[in-house]
Amino acid sequence: MNAVVRAWLGFFALGAGLIHLALVIGSPLVVGIPLLVAGIAEFAWGVFAFTASTVPFARAARIGAVIPILGWVLLLVLVGAGSVPGVRVIPMLVASLLDLAVAIAITVLLRRGEREQKPLASGRYLLGLGLGALAVAALTTPALAATEAGDFAVPHGTQSEAPYDLDLPDGHSGH
Amino acid sequence: MSTSPNRLLATIFGIVYVIIGIAGFFVTSDVGLLDTSGGLLLGIFEVNILHNIAHLLIGAALLIAGLSGVRASKTVNSVVGAAYLLLGIVGLFIVGSPFNILAINGADNVLHFGSAVLLLAVGLGAERSVKTAATA
Repeated sequence: MNAVVRAWLGFFALGAGLIHLALVIGSPLVVGIPLLVAGIAEFAWGVFAFTASTVPFARAARIGAVIPILGWVLLLVLVGAGSVPGVRVIPMLVASLLDLAVAIAITVLLRRGEREQKPLASGRYLLGLGLGALAVAALTTPALAATEAGDFAVPHGTQSEAPYDLDLPDGHSGH
Repeated sequence: MSTSPNRLLATIFGIVYVIIGIAGFFVTSDVGLLDTSGGLLLGIFEVNILHNIAHLLIGAALLIAGLSGVRASKTVNSVVGAAYLLLGIVGLFIVGSPFNILAINGADNVLHFGSAVLLLAVGLGAERSVKTAATA
């Protein structure tokens, strides 16, 4: 079971890291640099969490996961939601939830202890990982699309805002 | 094979992606190789001909690796996982643009990102005591 939770930690951290990195684009430097540092640290730690047999730097990571959340809360208190260009509410909220999940999961693992447990059957292990991967992907992908970086996908002023072209004929029907 | 998570994942994903690749041709009969808009699989996931070919090739690679052994499965899972992660990120930027030669839509990005982290987690994390081909 610990192996599944460790993998979920990696998923949460990767998701939060990608969102923070995407938020760098369009943010002022004073906010962009901390976002860049947080994003790189979260992404790297997430990949490391996949490969390690115990949670890497567990206590430090738990504190590290909370720092971006506190930073955002401070920003909200000082300048209000939506007042900092590039730092959009929905992506920051999703990234904060993922960071919170990291902190909670590390706390649970530390309390439970990292002693080696009986390995899970492959099928159950994959099912546990699959559910976590899907949940994080379903949260992270729309959050990424909602960042200013995601805006670059659809050039401003084009007639189609849909994620794909329907290739409809020009002109409206009925005219 | 059922005791190896890497072999199991590679085999299952391999079969699934081969099926997805074949099924994709049934919804892209009037879609071109590099068309930026395509047909919808299951009404959700957009594909064009190139996308179908990619699914077939990836599925075949995973399936062959899964049937071959743990080392091959770990390697291919990790490589395909990394490639899907890159595709998931790039996909966000090319959706709706003329560069979208795989006719990717938002649902595709979710699937690619989810597949990526799962393949990476298992490829990098499971069966670590088995040396990969690179370190053998």
